[in-house]
Amino acid sequence: MTDLLEIREKIKILYSKYEFLILPVVKFVLAFVVLLSLNNRLGYMGQLDNIAVVLITGLMCSFLPSGFIVLFAAVFSLLHMYALSVEAALVGFGVYLVMFLLFFRFGSKDSLVVVLTPLLFAWKIPYVIPIAVGLVCGPVSVVPVGCGVITHYLLKTVADSASAINTLGEEDISAKLRMIIDGLVKNREMVVMIAAFAVTVLTVYLIRRLAVDHAWTIAMAAGALLDVVILLIGDLLYDINISLGGVLLGSLLALAVAKVIEFFRFCVDYSRTERVQFEDDEYYYYVKAVPKMAVAMSTKTVKRINPQRSRGDGGNRVTTERTGGTSGRYGASKTAGRSPYRGGRSVTIGSVSQEDPFEDLSEDDFDDNY
Amino acid sequence: MLDEERVILMTRMAAYERKEGRQNIKIGNYFRSDYIAVQVLKSLFSVTVAFALVAALYVFYHFDTLLQEIYQMDLPAFARKVLTYYVASAVSYGLLTYVVSTYRYAKAKKSLKQYYHNLKKLNAMYEQQG
Repeated sequence: MTDLLEIREKIKILYSKYEFLILPVVKFVLAFVVLLSLNNRLGYMGQLDNIAVVLITGLMCSFLPSGFIVLFAAVFSLLHMYALSVEAALVGFGVYLVMFLLFFRFGSKDSLVVVLTPLLFAWKIPYVIPIAVGLVCGPVSVVPVGCGVITHYLLKTVADSASAINTLGEEDISAKLRMIIDGLVKNREMVVMIAAFAVTVLTVYLIRRLAVDHAWTIAMAAGALLDVVILLIGDLLYDINISLGGVLLGSLLALAVAKVIEFFRFCVDYSRTERVQFEDDEYYYYVKAVPKMAVAMSTKTVKRINPQRSRGDGGNRVTTERTGGTSGRYGASKTAGRSPYRGGRSVTIGSVSQEDPFEDLSEDDFDDNY
Repeated sequence: MLDEERVILMTRMAAYERKEGRQNIKIGNYFRSDYIAVQVLKSLFSVTVAFALVAALYVFYHFDTLLQEIYQMDLPAFARKVLTYYVASAVSYGLLTYVVSTYRYAKAKKSLKQYYHNLKKLNAMYEQQG
């Protein structure tokens, strides 16, 4: 645990130091993975199913705003659908446009969720999404999660009916349209998924905001459980053949991912380095403001409890020592002497010897010493 | 002569203007009723386009049936039905937009309170300096 906490602090420092490099790299990797996954799932247009095109698009996404990843993913999928059949592209364009017009007006802030959801569906771990979104984002994120689920089922319908579409002739426009629209509108699995994910996001969000101990852990456990229950009820009602093992395993994995998110939730420092420009009557100001940051890496309080088997009372000796207590500070100079912890958060790392130190303690000793 | 406190305040305000404040300042420029009206109008436009798109897909989907039955159909009744669906969609989406816009306006105004307070403070600093 100590090592993990130190790693977290190190990551925090690294992120604040090299944020200008890390963010574009993350955006590039995300765009690359999303487009590659799209090419694997659809891949009907040979020109796009080319690693060079994916790399170039990924590089473009690395310096453009993150919304462009969504745009490029939509364009890639539409072009693949167009290569398959015009009708598929028409339905795809209609679905994307309706989602953009009706839903994105309310939840455009978390638009990346729309591309992450189909990606995680492709990796067979979609249950991570509602719990992670509920923990990190707000209740409006239900909208992008729902849009992501619809996008996944649109891509799945197109991929599943590709061979059937290819067998139909050019003149069977209506049949092709019907095939794709039916695959989407009459898809009960999609409706159940949207309902389960929406309820999970809202539940996780509401519970994690409660002023109770371990709210985050309770939220993720309740969310995962509720997700499984709704999916199973949906399976019973509509016979949609959801794999129980897959749901349970996926939910366990989602819990693990949620735990990692919880561990790192303060790692991403939102009050990042600011570079601002302004002016008044006398000066132009070009200011770089670096946030102060506490580094609590090497502050360890080791409490040794040594049961003393002396002749008389059998008392215990408790010694507390501080090892290497050099809590550093990154970018700070003025506030030396104050608490090194900013933002009301502190980490105390304690360790005890592996022998059971409480072996010889009675309940009274406990009350006295602790 | 540079006033350190003033530069700090201006930096904080500039950072706010650049990030979350950008949207809030835009919202804050409107009167409440104007902001909500604009948002509802935008929503009505969106819902109209989306409805037309869904209707077009519906027509394509039922193209064969519609072609066969168009002469036997009660067209005014069909038009009334379509219009009812459109009005229902527009009203429900408009209401949703009204609620969301009202909430967003209140939130933006609350967020801007501190910004305006800092603006007054900055103004006072300049006046004090003469």
